[in-house]
Amino acid sequence: MHMSDALVSPAVAGVAAAVSVTLLAVSARKVKNASTENLVPLMGVMGAFVFAAQMINFTIPGTGSSGHIVGGILLGALLGPWAAFLTLASVLVVQCLIFADGGLMALGCNLLNMGVCSTLIAYPLVYRPIAGDGRSTWRVMAAAIVASVTGLELGALLVTAETELSGVTALPAKEFLGLMTTIHFFIGIGEGIATAAVLYFVKTYQPSLLAGYRAETGKHAGNYKKAALVFLGIAVVLGAAFTWIASAYPDGLEWTISRITGSTDLPAMGTAIARTMASVQNSTSFLPDYESTWSGIIGCSIVVALVWVVCAMFTKKRHAA
Amino acid sequence: MTALEKALTEFKQVERSACSTSVLHSLDPRAKTLVVLIYIIAVLSESPDALAGILLFWIFPIIACAMGGIEYGKVMRKSLYTLPFIAFIGIFNPIFQREPMLTVGGVVITKGWVEFVSILLRGLLSVQMALVLIMTTGFYRVCRGLGKMGVPGVFTTQLLLVYRYIYLLVEEAIDMDRARKSRSYGRKGYGFKMWGTFVGQLLMRTVNRAQRIHRAMVSRGFTGELPSIVKMKWRGRDTLFVIIACGLIAACRFVNISAFFS
Repeated sequence: MHMSDALVSPAVAGVAAAVSVTLLAVSARKVKNASTENLVPLMGVMGAFVFAAQMINFTIPGTGSSGHIVGGILLGALLGPWAAFLTLASVLVVQCLIFADGGLMALGCNLLNMGVCSTLIAYPLVYRPIAGDGRSTWRVMAAAIVASVTGLELGALLVTAETELSGVTALPAKEFLGLMTTIHFFIGIGEGIATAAVLYFVKTYQPSLLAGYRAETGKHAGNYKKAALVFLGIAVVLGAAFTWIASAYPDGLEWTISRITGSTDLPAMGTAIARTMASVQNSTSFLPDYESTWSGIIGCSIVVALVWVVCAMFTKKRHAA
Repeated sequence: MTALEKALTEFKQVERSACSTSVLHSLDPRAKTLVVLIYIIAVLSESPDALAGILLFWIFPIIACAMGGIEYGKVMRKSLYTLPFIAFIGIFNPIFQREPMLTVGGVVITKGWVEFVSILLRGLLSVQMALVLIMTTGFYRVCRGLGKMGVPGVFTTQLLLVYRYIYLLVEEAIDMDRARKSRSYGRKGYGFKMWGTFVGQLLMRTVNRAQRIHRAMVSRGFTGELPSIVKMKWRGRDTLFVIIACGLIAACRFVNISAFFS
């Protein structure tokens, strides 16, 4: 689900970054004030664990394909929502910088789609109420599956919204949404079962890991819900505001022109000089619009190739020296 | 488990190239991060059908690689791995956008195909610049730079800890996987039940190890934030670098290149 820079516009990426940076700052403050002594090192190691676990695939029976864990709900269950968000965010930063998984500019979007949806929304609003006090194994299993599906579906919804608002893809929103939510429904079920399997193991062999966190934060449970709702509200308002800007930005001028003149081309200037110029241009160039695009592409390719050759020569010399 | 081993190799490669010296290596991480962000914004703000404009931005990663003493081919290869997802979304443009835009020897190329190529190019370029940033700076210094730019200490500490622990854990997982493989008599892959136990086991080991390490750290005076050993100082050359780079980016972004060549 990692979004690439190629699919977002600066406006959308900027809004997403603003929302996720705010949430990161809030999480950092919450974790600092939590005064749970070993939370910080546990977060570090859990981030690394999620990173490594994502590379261990299980085979999906009967299909020949394989899946792996994403980890948002698992982190939530072990660390609580705020610490889980920080941890998942750090994993996303490492993936973005070292492996180019997801773009640098789109990092804000990825934090929202994969971090916030699972740790700050699906975990407190879906997992916690279903799992209850965590004593019933079946409830924990069910909670893991339902919360994973919710988190991933929300993420898929956001990916669709961000891509469509950016105006990069030509795929209509309805089809795109249908495609994304269907794929992520199945991924969500796989993720849920995998999370449940790991939680079951932890519950059986080291239940203190789950219980320790509950005892520490049980009294704050209400705050998470309120905060998550507040931020969801802020995100929706910001999203709506910028939808308008983002959708108006690339085509606003053309739209205005088409409203005024009934055509997207500027009306030809009425002066004699302009008419003469236009006729000269028409006689010298075949399909003027095409021509300028082509010459631009060819010209730029030549520049890039030249720079490449010069740089390659320069680098080789340095190596030889 | 090739994925784990591959990841470890990747980490070591980045770390190794961050350790060498060059003009780009010696600049302040904040200056480089700032320029990369401005570059990506400039590339992304180009309209998808402005292929020529986006193409011109290709010179930046090439120049940056030369300045940083990195082989451009390596960066290019790494960035190519990111293409499938972009292509998956971008491939719909040729299907839906069928207005003609260019002709090549009588064959009409539609707007959709031009957009498709430019989406791929946008993806590659932004990824390449991010890779050059990390390969000439290193994860540690980028994190410290972020800290200096006001990112909360809890988060930068978290980033640094995750980065260090990843080495440990990936190695641990490789060991476990090797042990399992040597006893599995040719069975390939992980059945689901086996996977749960394996990952759960890794988690247990991880947590126990973290507790040991944490105690050791606390006994040596750890208070929740890792002290920095890197002295970061913004010098005149950093300002110069930012001004020149931003000027070049602005020139590429705002000069109508198609008109210039035609």
